Amino acid sequence: MSYAYLFKYIIIGDTGVGKSCLLLQFTDKRFQPVHDLTIGVEFGARMITIDNKPIKLQIWDTAGQESFRSITRSYYRGAAGALLVYDITRRETFNHLASWLEDARQHANANMTIMLIGNKCDLAHRRAVSTEEGEQFAKEHGLIFMEASAKTAQNVEEAFIKTAATIYKKIQDGVFDVSNESYGIKVGYGGIPGPSGGRDGASSQAGGCCS
Amino acid sequence: MQETELHDLSDDADYAASQQQGSSSMMRTDSIKRSSSNEPDGAEIVYSKDNVAIHPTQFVSERISGRLKLIKQGSSLFMTWLPYKEQNSNAKQIEKDRNLYTIKAVPFTEVRSIRKHAPPLGWQYVIIVLSSGLAFPPFYFYNGGVRQFLATIKQHVFLVRSAEDASVFLVNDFENPLQRTFSSLELPRVVSVASGQSTPISVDESLLKENQERINGYESSSISQYNGRQRQKVHDPARDISIQVLEKFSLVTKFARETTSQLFRDGHSNGFGAFEKMFDSQPAQDDLHKASNDAERVTDEIAVASDPLEFDKLSLVWGKPRQPPLGSEEITYSDLLKRFGSAGKVNGNVILWATFLDNEGRVMDSEALRKRIFYGGVEHELRREVWGLLLGYYAYDSTYAEREYLRTIKKSEYETIKHQWQSISPEQARRFTKFRERKGLIDKDVVRTDRAFTFYDGDDNPNVNLLRDTLLTYSFYNFDLGYCQGMSDLMSPILFVMEDESESFWCFVQLMERLGPNFNRDQSGMHSQLFALSKLVELLDSPLHNYFKQNDCLNYFFCFRWLLIQFKREFEYEETMRLWEVLWTHYLSEHLHLYVCVAVLKRYRRKIMREQMDFDTLLKFINELSGRINLDAILRDAEALCICAGENGAANIPPGTPPSLPIDSGLFYSQQEDEVL
Repeated sequence: MSYAYLFKYIIIGDTGVGKSCLLLQFTDKRFQPVHDLTIGVEFGARMITIDNKPIKLQIWDTAGQESFRSITRSYYRGAAGALLVYDITRRETFNHLASWLEDARQHANANMTIMLIGNKCDLAHRRAVSTEEGEQFAKEHGLIFMEASAKTAQNVEEAFIKTAATIYKKIQDGVFDVSNESYGIKVGYGGIPGPSGGRDGASSQAGGCCS
Repeated sequence: MQETELHDLSDDADYAASQQQGSSSMMRTDSIKRSSSNEPDGAEIVYSKDNVAIHPTQFVSERISGRLKLIKQGSSLFMTWLPYKEQNSNAKQIEKDRNLYTIKAVPFTEVRSIRKHAPPLGWQYVIIVLSSGLAFPPFYFYNGGVRQFLATIKQHVFLVRSAEDASVFLVNDFENPLQRTFSSLELPRVVSVASGQSTPISVDESLLKENQERINGYESSSISQYNGRQRQKVHDPARDISIQVLEKFSLVTKFARETTSQLFRDGHSNGFGAFEKMFDSQPAQDDLHKASNDAERVTDEIAVASDPLEFDKLSLVWGKPRQPPLGSEEITYSDLLKRFGSAGKVNGNVILWATFLDNEGRVMDSEALRKRIFYGGVEHELRREVWGLLLGYYAYDSTYAEREYLRTIKKSEYETIKHQWQSISPEQARRFTKFRERKGLIDKDVVRTDRAFTFYDGDDNPNVNLLRDTLLTYSFYNFDLGYCQGMSDLMSPILFVMEDESESFWCFVQLMERLGPNFNRDQSGMHSQLFALSKLVELLDSPLHNYFKQNDCLNYFFCFRWLLIQFKREFEYEETMRLWEVLWTHYLSEHLHLYVCVAVLKRYRRKIMREQMDFDTLLKFINELSGRINLDAILRDAEALCICAGENGAANIPPGTPPSLPIDSGLFYSQQEDEVL
């Protein structure tokens, strides 16, 4: 299928926070609690529409275990967007965000859009990280933030699309040189780089949920 | 030349025969002088023999007869072998084989040696080894004539008997033969010939695919035929289990032949033009070339450097066909009677396996056993015992009783280690972060390991608990290494095979002795393997290596998953088990898994280069090969590559690269910082 742009995303975060489930929910619209743990990296892709333009998201779902960090770092190269995921029921996954962010800052290009996702917000009764803490962290580090649930699909669509909309806006604003693929953006057939009125066609609004 | 005296052939009957031909006194230099002055352009057939056959398979019906010729052109001697045109050739397979095996013209400058076999029964045959280290399949002289063949060669090229092996004749060996061994293959030299051509040999994917399909077809038919006609096999020396070193090199080299034909096409090569014309009239040629031309018309804008070892088309003849798994052979009633006096109720699998064991259960010839497994794997019901041996849990020379005793001892040892973590109370666990984290990680991972596989599926499956218990116990047994993702993938098939907690644990321990470094926190084991892999690709496919280099892909991270868990995610469960037992034989090399990587990459080299894949695209492409790799074909390729690379290959793999034991055995694992994830 033809697209105006192709954005490369990378999903990072501790093991077991639900990275693969978020991807599957987004690409296949289903929740599969029983799936093989990720070794190395897995791929997913989906078309979305922003500002009436077809955009293809190519999503890299990485292994979360610390041992594999040195390998994971090589996947950052050329990513336009990152979903940094933690599990709201496991405090330690939130505590590790700074180290993930450091990796991302160091190995990705500086203009990469990062979306912080507090996953498993359906498990409110086991919450170990408050929405406010997540918001605060995002604010301090200049990230977009959402709580989501791969299980109920809440905010999953929104998280991926909001990230894309932000990237799209950066293109419109001329932040990226889209002819340089190291920004994680490929111009597809029919994609005309350059401002088109600056409309932000994001289909949804961000925001905390599951309070 | 002073060595000629020492290695003179005068004691040899073949040499004697050449004397009778009246021209043997002519020294090689004389020969060159005379022929070049007499016949500068013409080609002369100096030897021609009918009914010289090759045996692509063990089946009589698939043998291919043809005419072997020696042709002299100027100062050069060439060999050709053209199969006869069959009248009633309805078997497409044979027709294809005929084309595949046809040898148009190989100059003797390309020939390293000729090995003569004269079995007491059956036909004499020769194996011709090229200087690349590759070789043609054995040529069977149905009407005799080996002696004359060698004598004729000796008249035209420098031929001496090897000091190491009296049945081997070295061609153009001007060095002291004592200093030369067959294992020192000179691959790079030949490789440069092919890659230096201005017009690369190109073969389209579709052709390769066709070949692959053909291999598949070939395989299944060969297996079914094998089962159907068991024990009917005539004694065939080339298929003999005790195969000689040189025969391992008996790999038809399409590459060498195409290199030759390239030389012929390039008219500027000294005087080959006329020679080519002569062969243009021959039937059954150029089919491959034609096919590739047809395919190329579709699309092929980007010139792809040709494969120096173009084995894609050759898998059929490279390596040996896989056998049915050990234990799957059918045994007839009379076989049973012969062997044991009465058939009893024992089934055939156990009996064939038993032939490898002495009365008390010791493996009599571990090399033969490993070889048998290398070429066909193991029937599932035998895996329990065989895996224990392959992994070194049982010693090959242990008796049934000793193994039973070991099991008992090890069971209680296992229980002791397991008790270490089982005895941790909730109060203690609260103060034991490392334990909690490690257990948490394992708990999370075992429910994400092979749950689609029946053995582990469903809620509250006890096998999932066994998986957890064995892994957690291992993380106490080897506290420094701990637990790392990927281990559950390695444990899963072992538990499925052993069906016993303690046995699984100890076999896993043995496996980790080899693969533990894969899980080092600093990834040192992985990096050393990826490095070795890049060296092997550089050796075996320098154009592909250069491509990776130019495209910043030399870290080989796209092969990470293959190596970390031994291709577990690339094949079906049963196939994975078969691959593992083949790898664990360490039969040709401890590092066959690296050659498997090279084999897969080479199979797709053309696609990778033609589509100009960058790192991201390549990673995605490799990931998506999962479930689409033909195991048998790849194993054959890997075997061939391993043989081709020979000592050069081994020299490119740094000492201590897993699964080799670390060089400094004092420190098996770097101390692991525990992970908080």
